[in-house]
Amino acid sequence: MKALLLIGSPRSRSASESLGTYLTERLAARGWECSRAKALTVTTSERRTDALLADVSSSDLLVLAFPLYIDSLPTPLLRVLQLLAEKRAGGGRRLAAIVNSGFPEGAQNDTALAICRRFAAEAGFEWAGGVALGGGGAVAGKRLQEAGGLVARVMEGLDVAAEALAEGRDIPESASRLVSKPLMPSWLYILGGAFGWYQLARKQRALWHLRARPYAR
Amino acid sequence: MNITILNGAPGNGRGTTLRAIASTIADEARAKGWPAATFDLDGLDIKPCRGCFACWLKHPGTCAIKDDEEPIVKAIASTDLIIWMTPVVFGGYGPELKKALDRSISILSPFFTKLDGETHHKRRYSRYPTFAAVGLLRRVDQESEEIFRRLVWRNAINIYAPAFSVEIAYESEGPVSLGAKVDRLLERVEVAA
Repeated sequence: MKALLLIGSPRSRSASESLGTYLTERLAARGWECSRAKALTVTTSERRTDALLADVSSSDLLVLAFPLYIDSLPTPLLRVLQLLAEKRAGGGRRLAAIVNSGFPEGAQNDTALAICRRFAAEAGFEWAGGVALGGGGAVAGKRLQEAGGLVARVMEGLDVAAEALAEGRDIPESASRLVSKPLMPSWLYILGGAFGWYQLARKQRALWHLRARPYAR
Repeated sequence: MNITILNGAPGNGRGTTLRAIASTIADEARAKGWPAATFDLDGLDIKPCRGCFACWLKHPGTCAIKDDEEPIVKAIASTDLIIWMTPVVFGGYGPELKKALDRSISILSPFFTKLDGETHHKRRYSRYPTFAAVGLLRRVDQESEEIFRRLVWRNAINIYAPAFSVEIAYESEGPVSLGAKVDRLLERVEVAA
């Protein structure tokens, strides 16, 4: 059995890639052959587009892993999905999705998952379900196994999801619950987030400009 | 009231109806004495967001990529009413509109706050425009319509729209029906504003 991981983040290292990699490693441990592609580069040449279509058609499962952009999917991934839908590339293959956002509440990803489910129907895939992580910044492009105890429940949820997908079942609700459970109380996340933003802005020497309003009228 | 239209009509046959609706909205707005500016996004050079956060952390409020997006972000920050127009793609926005939206997060602060029990980014600006969205569907499609309305509602929260309105149009509709929808939309936003 084969799985293709399609990464929707434009970053070279991303939480999306970490989450997708963890899931596909669990599939590989069950004997699956897994490959990956990045949405940002897929549509940059005909050769790459053809390669993706070939990869999809030789796979049994397509896994989308992406960050939440404007409550939805990043544009490069959206373009790839449009292409797959135009070609009706699903052919009854299964589709699963992993979405992560910077908001601590996993439920803020629900609209993006609904869009993935709708894509599955229009492109001829069988929707196998999705999981949504809030507070994706805690992963920050690290391997989940190295991201610390905060993401233990996320890994547990992905283990459950991988087991189900490997056996041809849909991702169970228990996996979604485990992944979407807030990593920490929201007040702590907001406080920690502010500290992190200040640290990063200080490195960029932009600390005193964080509240700039360059286009205020 | 200043109006900015982000017209996500694609450059193929499917864009014709949206372009006609955008033109009607702009004409009717001008007839009411509202200056209207339209960005036809399909023809603009707007590169994908890199997710680099430079617009939050390096030169806050402005994007690192210099292309046709900058005047759009300026317009969002200064207009009274913003109208997003798009074909409904899998219940969401089409890539022509979405590429402009992905690059507009600099209108918000990276810092978080709580709104109705949920975490959202804080405001960068003291005021934000009233927001309307027009989605075009090929045919009646209940599921896509519901996703689209929910997505617009979620976006309205995140962009601090003081009021928002959604209109769904169908390609099968004639000009009279579409014109009535435009009238309805403008009436609603006029009341809200």
